[in-house]
Amino acid sequence: MKKLLFLVSLVLIASFMLTACGPTTTPAPATQPPATQPPPPTEAPTVAPTVPPTAAPVTITIWHMWSGDYLTAIEAVFQQYMVEHPEVTIELSQPTDPTAAMAVAIPAGEGPDIIGWPNDQIGTNALNGNIVALDDYGVDLAFLQSTYEPAAVAGVQWNGKIWALPESQEAIALVYNKALASASDFPSNPKDFTDLLAKSKAYFEAHGIPLFCNQGFPGGDAYHAAALYFSFGVPTYVDDQGTVYLNTPEALAASNWLLSVKPYLLKEMSHEICKTALIEGKVAAWWTGPWAIADLENAGIDYGFVTMGKPFVGIKTLMLTKNAVDRDHAAVALDIIEYFTNTANQKAETLANKTIPANTAAFMDPEVQALPTIAGFGANAALGIPMGSTPYASAQWGPVGDAISAIWNGSQTPEVALAAAQTAFEAAIAGMK
Amino acid sequence: MAQWKGWRKVLTVLAFIGPTLIGILIFSIYPILFNTYISLTNRNKFHPNPDCSVGLTGILEPTCWAVFREHASAGIGEPYRLKEPLFGNYADLIGQFFTGPVLLALAKILACFVPLIIAGPINKRLDRQLDRAVQPRMVTLTAIVLGILLAFALNVKDAIALITGSGDFIVVNFSTILYVLICIPLFFVVGLGLALLLNVPDLPGRAFFRVILIVPWAASNVAIMIALVWKFFFQEQGTINQLLALIGLTGRSWLQEPATAWFVIVLANVWMSYPFFMVTILGALQSIPVELYEAAEVDGASWWQRLMSITLPLLRPAIIPIIVLSSITTFQMFGTVWAITGGGPSRGAGTPGATDLVMTYAYKQVFQTQAYARMGAFAIIIFIMLFAAILYSLRISRITKGAYE
Repeated sequence: MKKLLFLVSLVLIASFMLTACGPTTTPAPATQPPATQPPPPTEAPTVAPTVPPTAAPVTITIWHMWSGDYLTAIEAVFQQYMVEHPEVTIELSQPTDPTAAMAVAIPAGEGPDIIGWPNDQIGTNALNGNIVALDDYGVDLAFLQSTYEPAAVAGVQWNGKIWALPESQEAIALVYNKALASASDFPSNPKDFTDLLAKSKAYFEAHGIPLFCNQGFPGGDAYHAAALYFSFGVPTYVDDQGTVYLNTPEALAASNWLLSVKPYLLKEMSHEICKTALIEGKVAAWWTGPWAIADLENAGIDYGFVTMGKPFVGIKTLMLTKNAVDRDHAAVALDIIEYFTNTANQKAETLANKTIPANTAAFMDPEVQALPTIAGFGANAALGIPMGSTPYASAQWGPVGDAISAIWNGSQTPEVALAAAQTAFEAAIAGMK
Repeated sequence: MAQWKGWRKVLTVLAFIGPTLIGILIFSIYPILFNTYISLTNRNKFHPNPDCSVGLTGILEPTCWAVFREHASAGIGEPYRLKEPLFGNYADLIGQFFTGPVLLALAKILACFVPLIIAGPINKRLDRQLDRAVQPRMVTLTAIVLGILLAFALNVKDAIALITGSGDFIVVNFSTILYVLICIPLFFVVGLGLALLLNVPDLPGRAFFRVILIVPWAASNVAIMIALVWKFFFQEQGTINQLLALIGLTGRSWLQEPATAWFVIVLANVWMSYPFFMVTILGALQSIPVELYEAAEVDGASWWQRLMSITLPLLRPAIIPIIVLSSITTFQMFGTVWAITGGGPSRGAGTPGATDLVMTYAYKQVFQTQAYARMGAFAIIIFIMLFAAILYSLRISRITKGAYE
């Protein structure tokens, strides 16, 4: 009896161990093409395909960074796609830290089929192999140029390949509360920061509240601070060759201006603080982007736009992941991306979210052109500097942000902070090379 | 009766301990080995993928295993390879620490504690003497004064600056140890004070206060949310500044200044941790025989003398383990600091923030800059340090003594 029990115990333990060590997912069928071999390139489409590429039920996962009311209009587009393609289910998910989540999920085969990300993530993720080039799936330059705005076309290319389709263009502008200020409270010349300093001082002394709020200054947010730094002549933080432009006379002048205007601004500024301050009448204007408009409209704020500075122009894109290829979802996923970025859907999304569409026909549509936000943000985008798609672009936020934050809180002088940022940034680039 | 010897015995023993051994190998030994290997490479966000044809990489890297290879990313970047020199990541982290000037600076700081160390044995000897020429407290006081004088004489301020300037690793460890050294005595003092208060038999509403004072500990399950409340209190537009404004005072940017940001993360941690000390001490106070206090009262001992000579010595067995445990959790502090300051305010690019502790710094390096190899080396050094500290603490606290008896 004891022998029998002993044997049964051994068999049970062995079976548990074997079960635990077994694969958790069903192995791919033998007929599936190898993951490393993409399907043969097809003829370049000139319009978005309307016929579903598969009739079998399929679930497409999309990771994104959309939120709040902004997301509602986007969800409607995907709902409509599912109505038109009943065999396709689209699941939207918003990871807290998409970079870390992608690094873990893609090798495990648990990543999304599509990820919505700004174009500065293209270089790094192409290096990592998290995303795949769309050239191999029938997207070519002719289609891009015939469908999207030139800045967006440039923004989704890197290393001679197309890595994403553009959704919208983004640039920040000074959005002011008409109940607290008028256009005359701001400089008429978008490059005149001396005037902005004088007007900030005058407004603060007259009303006891700051003229504007910019989360980039204390928060170490290089994106929002770019409008200031590029206006003073910094060409960009880092160019496509990896040259860094931080320890420059232009950046120093911008940093000194930052310290000059500090007494007339809030000492702490973040997205939430700026939003609340504008809505509650504690600041007259907010240097922000299209993503903030839905919240301001919901709060009943009557807002206007001021063209000021040279902001970063980012491209929101949709990328096809390696997991989509592994799962044989590439064709369906690409069809969804093209559907989402087509003229009709981009127009609908723009009218709801007040974004600047990357789709040329949507951008030129009279209804879209009539939107004050298109004029407001568009005028700033026209003055802006395009955000790079190289791997260097993804390494700029830390060093630049830390330097600006240190200058703001007085930990370092502008000279020391910019020199340290230049050194740290160049060290990061050396690591890439 | 089955035979209990030879291969049958070995097999039976293995059958019982096998699953645990396999668990330890998979969940403890393998990650340590893999991390050690990564720490010897140049793996970062730009060289994230392995070259599976390299011997050890092919064995240790999961994405090289057949089960994961199907999904493994190839990318167009170069794969990671062994660092040149091999211990380059370790040298980058602590290399500057082992130089003459920095070691001399460390010796100067340690020298300031020599009078206090010497005072210990002197006081012990004095305690044994009935007719003392000098009171022990005078010896301690003299040692403290001598230590302070030495600190000035040896220019300890410059020595600290030299050490903290010798690399990020030293800075964040120095900050973290300082954080532990500040927090733990505060946990103890606040916990002891409240425990003594709640131990007063005729305290009105004693049961109510006993419950209400444990609330912070109960809330520590949602530590991040509580930390965000503390952040809200101390923001420029937050509650504290609004209260100050009510009485005509101008608030400050608490979280934008290094000293005040430190104050806030210490305060939040004390608020969340003192109940652990309070409850433990309160429990230990119940076990002290009342007769001892009665005898002391008869002898004319003051409240302070009873506290120092009866209460604290008898609390020692209960206090030391919680000090050890709290030191470990405070050293590993992440959520509270991350939610309140995010490691800031910034002290510039390439330098840890003013409130960057070991965990916040490591998190930034791994998840924001993906410096996997560098942080692998960081983790190994921290592992060795904590392993030594835990061995020492086990010895002084005798937490595991019962397991061997």
